[in-house]
Amino acid sequence: MKLKKVAATLLASVMVLSMAACGTGSDKGGDGKGGAAQLSKDDKITLSMWCIATESDSNRNSYELAIDEMKKEYPNITLNWEAFENQSYKTKIKAAVAADELPDIFFTWSCAFLGDFVKSGKVYCLDEAYKSYASELPEVMMGNSTYDGKHYGVPLTMNIVGLFANMDLLKEAGYNEIPGTYDDFIKCCDALKAKGIMPFGCAGSETWCVTEYLESVIEKSIGADALNDIFLGRATWNNPDVASAVDTFQKMVNDGYFDPNGISLTNDEVKANFMKGQYAFYMNGTWNCADFAGDANFFPKVKVAEFPVINADKAKLGQLIGGPSDTLAVAASSKNAAAAATYTFELGKRICHYGYLDGCGLPAWTPYGDTSKVNGLTQAVAEICNKANGYVLFGDTAMNADEANTYLDYVAQVYGCKVDGAGFIKGLSKDIR
Amino acid sequence: MICGLSQSSVRGTGKTAFLIHRKVTIGMKEKTFKKISIFLFLLPALLLFIGVLIYPIIMSVCYSFYDLRSVSTTGMQWCGLDNYKELFTSGSISFWRALGNSLLLAALSVFIQLPLALGLALMLGKGIKGERAYLSIYFLPVLISTVVIGQLWRKIYNPDYGILNAVLSLLGITNVMPNGGWLGNEASALWCVFIPTLWQYVGYHMLLMYAGVRSVSPELREAAKLDGATDAQVDWYVVIPVIKPIIKVSVIFAVTGSLKSFDLIYVLTNGGPYHATEVPSTLMINMLFLRNRYGMGSTIAVMLILLCFAFALLINWAFKEKDIYGKKEHVE
Repeated sequence: MKLKKVAATLLASVMVLSMAACGTGSDKGGDGKGGAAQLSKDDKITLSMWCIATESDSNRNSYELAIDEMKKEYPNITLNWEAFENQSYKTKIKAAVAADELPDIFFTWSCAFLGDFVKSGKVYCLDEAYKSYASELPEVMMGNSTYDGKHYGVPLTMNIVGLFANMDLLKEAGYNEIPGTYDDFIKCCDALKAKGIMPFGCAGSETWCVTEYLESVIEKSIGADALNDIFLGRATWNNPDVASAVDTFQKMVNDGYFDPNGISLTNDEVKANFMKGQYAFYMNGTWNCADFAGDANFFPKVKVAEFPVINADKAKLGQLIGGPSDTLAVAASSKNAAAAATYTFELGKRICHYGYLDGCGLPAWTPYGDTSKVNGLTQAVAEICNKANGYVLFGDTAMNADEANTYLDYVAQVYGCKVDGAGFIKGLSKDIR
Repeated sequence: MICGLSQSSVRGTGKTAFLIHRKVTIGMKEKTFKKISIFLFLLPALLLFIGVLIYPIIMSVCYSFYDLRSVSTTGMQWCGLDNYKELFTSGSISFWRALGNSLLLAALSVFIQLPLALGLALMLGKGIKGERAYLSIYFLPVLISTVVIGQLWRKIYNPDYGILNAVLSLLGITNVMPNGGWLGNEASALWCVFIPTLWQYVGYHMLLMYAGVRSVSPELREAAKLDGATDAQVDWYVVIPVIKPIIKVSVIFAVTGSLKSFDLIYVLTNGGPYHATEVPSTLMINMLFLRNRYGMGSTIAVMLILLCFAFALLINWAFKEKDIYGKKEHVE
C-alpha cells in the first residue's frame, strides 16, 4: 500500500513537469475521431508493432508478459511484433516514417523525436481513445507527447538519472552513505582515488551517457528552470553559469575521477565494469534498476541517490533530469487505427505495470495490483521522485534532431576536453540559436 | 530493249530485284523482330536498373537542392546550391575531414592492401602445397559479416581486456596505449579503424588476382624461364603485365570501396571520437537519420556518386598504356 501511495504522490509531484506541451508542430495526422472506447472482442484484427525490447533489453520481460496478457484478453487480435536494437531503431523508424511504411503501433521517444513524425502527419491522434483512460493515465504524463493540445503517444514508464553507488567500494574509502553535499562528494572521490578506486565510469562512445553526467552537473549548478528554458529554446546557451558548470564537470574529468578508457567504451561495457566493482559510481537512467536487481551478487551492494547540489543559490535537491519518454504511438496510415489506438492504451498500461514490477522505471500509469515486490532500488527511486520539485527532460529528447546532435557533438568535446565551458556556450549559441 | 538489255534479261533482273527486295524485307523484319525481342528481354532488367539505381540518384540530386529537414517532403524549400556551399564551408559538418579520411583509406588500400593481395596471389598462383586451404583462410574475412568483424575488433582493441594490449604486454611493450584507449584517442582511432578495413578485403582482391595469375599461359612462364628469368622476374615482367586489367579492376574497387566505406567504421567508432574517423558515408547517415537533414544527406550522397565516378574515370585513364607515339591506349 505504501508503494501505491508513493507512486500516487509521485504522479502528483510530476505536475511540476515543465515539459508539458513540448511540441507545437501543426498536426496533419489522423483525427482520432471514432476511436473505439471499448476494444471489440469479436472482430478479427491483425496489428503490427515495432519496439526496442530486444532479448537483452531490461524491458523485454514486461513486453512479453503484457503481450501474453493481451492475447488472452483479446484472442481475436493478433499482434505481430518485432524488436530492434536501440541505436539502429532510430534510423529504421525514421526511414519507415519517410517511406510511409510504419507498422500499426510503434515505440518512440516523446517530445521532439515524436514531434517530427507528428509534424509530418504520420501519427494518429489518440484524443478519442484517451478519454476512456484519462482516470488511469494522468494528463500530465501525456505532456511530452502532446502537440498543439492533441495527444499522440501512450507513455509507458518514466525514468530519471540516478547516481548509483557501489557501497562496498565507498565503505573501503570510509563512507557508509552516498555523500549528500557536493563538497563531501568531491572528498569522497578523492578518498576513493587514494584507495586506488576509480570513482566514475562513463561511456564516451555513446554520448547520451555523458549527458547523464553533464546535465546533472549543469542542473545542480543553474537550476531546473534555467536548464529547461535553454533546452526548450526560451533562453540562450550563452549563459556564463552554464560555462562554469561545464568547467566544474571538466575539472572532475581532469582530476582523474573518470576512467580515461571510458571514452572508447560502450554503455554496456561501462555498466558491466561498474557491476564488476571497477567503479564506485555510475550515473545513468533508473531503468538500470532492473538489471542491478537481477544480479543477486551485486544488488545488495548498490544504492541510488540524486546528484548533490553544486550551487545552492540557484539549484536545490529534488531537481531531477528525466521524465516520461518511452512511448507507444499509432501510425496514421494504419488500416485499423482506431482499434490500434485503444489496443495501444491497453498494452501500454500492462507494459507499464510489469515494467514497474521489474524495476524498469516508475509507472506513468496509476499502479494497480500487488506492487509490494518492486525491488528496493526502484522504491528508492520512487522516494527520490516523490520529493522532486522540478524535472528537466533529457536534452537530446527535448531538442529537435538537428539541434540535439549538435548539442551531443559539443558534449562529446567537453568530455574529451576539446572545448572548455566558454567554448561550449559560445559554440552552442552560435550553432543552435 | 531498255538501255541495251533484252526483255528477258530485264524480266530476270526484275525477278532478282524482287527476290532481293523480298530478302531484304524479310531480313529487316527479322532484324526488327530481333531488336524488339532483345528490348523485351532487357526491359525487366532495365526497369529494375532505373527504379533501383537511376531514379534514386535523380531524386537525390533533386533533394540536394532543397532545405529538407523533416521526414516528410511537404514544406521543403528550394535552396539552390546552399547545401553544397554549406557542405564545403561549414566547420561543424567537417566534410573535408571526412573526405580526407576516405582518400587516406583509398591510398592505403592501393599502396598496402593491393600489393599485399598481389603478393599472396602470386605466391599461391605458383601452386604451393595447401593452396586451397590458404585461399579459403585468406578469403574467410570477406565471408564473415562486417558487423561481426567490427565487434571482434572492438574486443581486440578493448582497453581493459583487449588481446592487443595482452600481446603487447607479453612482448614487454607496456604503456603504449594512448589516453582514452585505442579507439577513443583521436590520433590512434583512425589507424585502428583502417587496419581491419584493409585486412578484411585483402582476401577479396587476392582471389581476383589469383584467378588472373592462374590464367597466365604456362608457355609464357616457361619461355621466360628458358631465357633465364628468375621467379621474381617472371612475376614482374610476365605475370603482372598480363593481369594488369584485373589489377585495374581491383584498384577501382579498392578506391571506390574506400570512398563508400561505412559499415566497419560505423560499428567500430561511428565516426568518433570527435569526428576523427568520420567518412562521407557516416556523415551522410548522421545527417539523414540523426539530424533529419535529408537535403544535406542527399547532397553528400550526390558528392559520393560524383567522386566515385570521377575516380573510376581517373583510374581508367591512368591504366591506359602509352603507344609508340606517346598516346595512351586502352588496356584490354
